[in-house]
Amino acid sequence: MHRIVPVVGLSGHLALQAIAGGGSAISPEANAVHKAVTEVVELTERSLVLFGKKASALSQLAELAAECAQQGWDGDTAAGINPNAVLYAEHFVRALPEGIPLPEFTPEPDGSISLDWIRSPNRLFSLSVGNSNRLAYAWLDGADKGHGVARFDGQTIPPRVLEDIKGIAGQGHVGLRAA
Amino acid sequence: MLASGLLDIVADVEDLARFLTSSSQFNSQMAKPSVFLPTPSDRETSVFRHGSEPRDVLWTIGDEHAGRNRTLHGAAIIKTSDVRSALLQVIASEPPPRHASITGWPWLDNDPELQKAQQKERAVLIASKAILVRR
Repeated sequence: MHRIVPVVGLSGHLALQAIAGGGSAISPEANAVHKAVTEVVELTERSLVLFGKKASALSQLAELAAECAQQGWDGDTAAGINPNAVLYAEHFVRALPEGIPLPEFTPEPDGSISLDWIRSPNRLFSLSVGNSNRLAYAWLDGADKGHGVARFDGQTIPPRVLEDIKGIAGQGHVGLRAA
Repeated sequence: MLASGLLDIVADVEDLARFLTSSSQFNSQMAKPSVFLPTPSDRETSVFRHGSEPRDVLWTIGDEHAGRNRTLHGAAIIKTSDVRSALLQVIASEPPPRHASITGWPWLDNDPELQKAQQKERAVLIASKAILVRR
């Protein structure tokens, strides 16, 4: 189910690294090329790091989908994970902006997938991805709590959801992997 | 009195165990909220009237009723009073022995996503109070 999408060809990256690493350019043109290549290498390496984290998250999603594909995965009557839920969850993870922590995935008894941002037992955001583009979510932030529904177009995280994730999960917290 | 010897009314002070059959249902901090969501077929969450101790009895119940064809990873233990504080009910539901059900989940047939959101808010509250016991 899980697809690995190459961000950049490794051989091309290595060649650029070699150019960027050589600091003996003399002419202005050569300096300009060297500077441009260095920027490309930095951007590429940053992309590799980012993609690696999302790829790891998507692998976990695929593992969960396989583990809970059959009805009764909970030892009771839970429905198997819905393939559409896996697709929506994958799109959601891919759409998360840089710097937003990546979620943990949990199966739900109706075949949906829960995407959880857990900072502590009393501070968490839980979003449900099911068979439609309407996402159910709930949060707990100390004494504050609430729930809502937001529409996801498959490309852009609903602003309200994004703000809530930022507010609850914060950034750079131990145990939460930044996207 | 029920066949298990327990009272037919579940007391507020009683512990309830929800068994965990997937390693994704918990992390180092807690059992996750979705553990407590109801199954659509009966609109209830199945639990057993048992606390974290004695541990061998807890796992015997879990193996027998939740882990038959699955690996039993642990249990989330929650006080009945915490479930009721989330505006849900706990009723004895034997057989099997010690079985109980969390009922009263919001159900909106014309808006399944809003229904799920309301259910999740209650599940989040319960999860925040639950104690994770790993096997």
